[in-house]
Amino acid sequence: MLRHSLTLFAGIALPLLASGQGNNTLTVYTHPSFAAEWGPGPGVKEAFEHQCDCTLEYVVLDSGGDILQRLRLEGNSTDADVVLGLDTGTMETARQTGLLAPHSIALESLDLPIDWQDSLFVPYDWGYFAFVYDTEQLPNPPKSLEELVNAPEELQIIIQDPRTSTPGLGLLLWMKAVYGEQAGEKWQALSDNILTTTKSWSDGYFSLFMNGEAPMILSYSTSPAYHMAVDKTDRYQAAEFDEGHYLQVEVAALVEPSEQKALARDFLQFMLTADFQRHIPLKNVMYPAIDLGDELPEVFDRLIQPDNTLFIDPATVAEKRKSWLDEWLNAMIP
Amino acid sequence: MRQFPFGSTQAPLSHPGWQIGPGLIIAGSLLALTIAGLAALLWQAHLPEVAELWQNRYLGNVIRFTIWQATLSTALSLVLGLLIALALARQPRFRGRSLLLRMMELSLVLPTIVAVSGLVGVYGRHGWLTSVVEHWTTVRWNLYGLNGIVLAHVFFNAPLAGRILLQALESVPAPRRRVASQLGLTGWWLWRTLDWPAVRRVLPGIAALVFTLCFTSFAIVMTLGGGPASTTLEVAIYQSLRFEFDFGRAALLAIVQLAICGAIWLFMVRRGLSANLSPQRSFSETIRRPDGQGITRLRDAALLVCIALFLLLPLAAILLQGLPGLVTVAVDGGTSLADLAEATLRSFAIALPAGAFSVLSALLVLALAGRGGPHLARLSSVATAVPLMVPPIVLGTGLFLLLRRSLGHSSQGLALVALINGLMALPFVTQLLKGPLAGLDQATAQQADQLGVLGWYRWRWLHWPRLKRPLALAMAYGTGLSLGDFGVIALFGTPGQPTVPVLLYQQLGSYRMELAAGTALWLLTLLLLVFATFNLPGYRKRKQSRHQNDALNTLAEARHA
Repeated sequence: MLRHSLTLFAGIALPLLASGQGNNTLTVYTHPSFAAEWGPGPGVKEAFEHQCDCTLEYVVLDSGGDILQRLRLEGNSTDADVVLGLDTGTMETARQTGLLAPHSIALESLDLPIDWQDSLFVPYDWGYFAFVYDTEQLPNPPKSLEELVNAPEELQIIIQDPRTSTPGLGLLLWMKAVYGEQAGEKWQALSDNILTTTKSWSDGYFSLFMNGEAPMILSYSTSPAYHMAVDKTDRYQAAEFDEGHYLQVEVAALVEPSEQKALARDFLQFMLTADFQRHIPLKNVMYPAIDLGDELPEVFDRLIQPDNTLFIDPATVAEKRKSWLDEWLNAMIP
Repeated sequence: MRQFPFGSTQAPLSHPGWQIGPGLIIAGSLLALTIAGLAALLWQAHLPEVAELWQNRYLGNVIRFTIWQATLSTALSLVLGLLIALALARQPRFRGRSLLLRMMELSLVLPTIVAVSGLVGVYGRHGWLTSVVEHWTTVRWNLYGLNGIVLAHVFFNAPLAGRILLQALESVPAPRRRVASQLGLTGWWLWRTLDWPAVRRVLPGIAALVFTLCFTSFAIVMTLGGGPASTTLEVAIYQSLRFEFDFGRAALLAIVQLAICGAIWLFMVRRGLSANLSPQRSFSETIRRPDGQGITRLRDAALLVCIALFLLLPLAAILLQGLPGLVTVAVDGGTSLADLAEATLRSFAIALPAGAFSVLSALLVLALAGRGGPHLARLSSVATAVPLMVPPIVLGTGLFLLLRRSLGHSSQGLALVALINGLMALPFVTQLLKGPLAGLDQATAQQADQLGVLGWYRWRWLHWPRLKRPLALAMAYGTGLSLGDFGVIALFGTPGQPTVPVLLYQQLGSYRMELAAGTALWLLTLLLLVFATFNLPGYRKRKQSRHQNDALNTLAEARHA
């Protein structure tokens, strides 16, 4: 229980991490799931350094929110050249800081379910939020969000808190996109199916879902790819919902005060090539942002392919988030 | 017989400055850093709406729920802790006693995610115990809600309370025990004359510590709480800072948290202080208690078996969950094994210095309590706990704003992690050492003063013999807390060089669930190893303490000469 209550003086040494500011060092602020040994980070670093004659340095912050926080705090004196790991939920707030510069690179190669024309943010992967279920415990999962909302109390699910977690916020937006004004009532109807609401995805997935506490958990439509390709099991699958699935796009951006803008643009350009993207499917367990052709692992063909992509404009999300959260809280607290 | 070096005119480190100075610096800097961190946040933000605190229904509910769950968890943890401590004190020869003690020490330092996984494996919807109970009885148990929060908090804190209380009970001087034994005191009278005075000295501090830990609890409350109705202040602070970038509100809520927990500490410390003045002569020789026989013995045994199961079952669940992964790593070898080995070495390279630093700091701060008068004593007690009361991300953000420009770039990250881990363990280590350190009675102290047994010599001949075991235990807690730390290392370390907990979280984040369960089991094993090793001096205790106490007896005899 101490892990979180004790992170004392978190700020003091963080600047110590960005060591070695040589002339040819590109500093990228990112989060652990990208930079970790099993993430795409190490492979990407090797591939980029191979072609750039430079050093790629990751500064790892706890989450997308922390990357943004750090950027705001450092302002114009930031060491970051590129921020990588923001998403559609945080990018509007990042835009408002005025600390990001236009990427001015061509986005034709992008292969997303929506049209993307943003002058600041370059997508590097994407995925759908989805409920992953245990086929052994739940042979017949709900076929729509509506069916889930009206499911009998015996069907218990694990979700994440929209106040602290990205998928948690994703579900809030998903419900909003499907139900609009009725979202509050629908949350109330769903509440007796919610076993618990965890702080982060890991807490729910490891401590509860893997222990069989509930047959269904809020996750990504791509999660089964990992279980199928690496664990070699088809036991965990994503439930496809008729209303469609909410989209998450992860993005990177160029930092305005950076003195390495040319190199940073090279990196963003490199991000949309196969040398970067081939590390995404199984290491970030998301869809690559470009068409990888035959390089896309075979298991990705066996994932659900939602007919309908749900997406609310990030600017609207930034504006309404607080009132939507209040609506959720009021629905959930009796 | 050993001789004190009476000849020297000035004992090393005997100047009053040495006894107050370093402790004052440590306590003072902890306070100053906290205030500076909060002030920096407020300075950056527009002033928060203070009226929001009582006007906002949500915030009101959050504050009420936080206090309610913390009070309930603390009360249950203390009652259970006291029952465990008394039973263990009455039954020094209980089979598996030392194993039970190690389990008790272990629960506190386990990373949340691992412990919760174990608890869920036993008490969850499909947990073993739940299945057994629901199969044989009509009882329907639901872990998620206040039940689960309190259960988890008791799992973490009752053993901590029990461990410190047991140490207090064991420090009752042998001559007193002997007299009580000769007078045939049992039951209420024994409690009133011997046990309660010993417990009273440490109880307020433990209560304040446990309350603070439960009050600031975060991930457990969310995971087991069932939904947003179970929200603590810490969650609201995190939300304001991380998602809404509302520094003013975050600082305001942090101040509310600091005020509530700080008030508890001040109140408790005031109460606890007077007890320290009672004369105590402590010889660490064990006297058999007269009340551990007959029916009491059976009752104690039953209680201890239940406690052992309560602690052991979740650990067994972790063992079962982790065994396949760990076996795979061990059998396959290769990079996974090398990673784990490297992470283990790195963890110890941080944790051992961190443990030593926390013990040293605790001694220096406690020296203030002994020598610096009541005000300094109170200051030292509260200052060490302040870091627990302010949410880390608030303090971190504030200090970042404050110190950013004055810090250069370097690669001293890991040393800093050790330092911070050491400071974080301070409130625990202080509680462990407070009782034994204050155990030196007035008469002995005066005599030592007259004889010039000061500074280093006083430490070496008067304190060391009785502090050896508590120090080893404190060192184990300091090391264990650092070994299980995820928060600080996640922020300061580099992902390419993970410690064991960081490796665990990296595996989780990359869907390596089986591997992660294996790593969790490995971490559990390491923690067990740490506590077992540092408790080794206890086994040779009886023989050595006689020998060491010659010095003390010399003093005592000289008085009657």
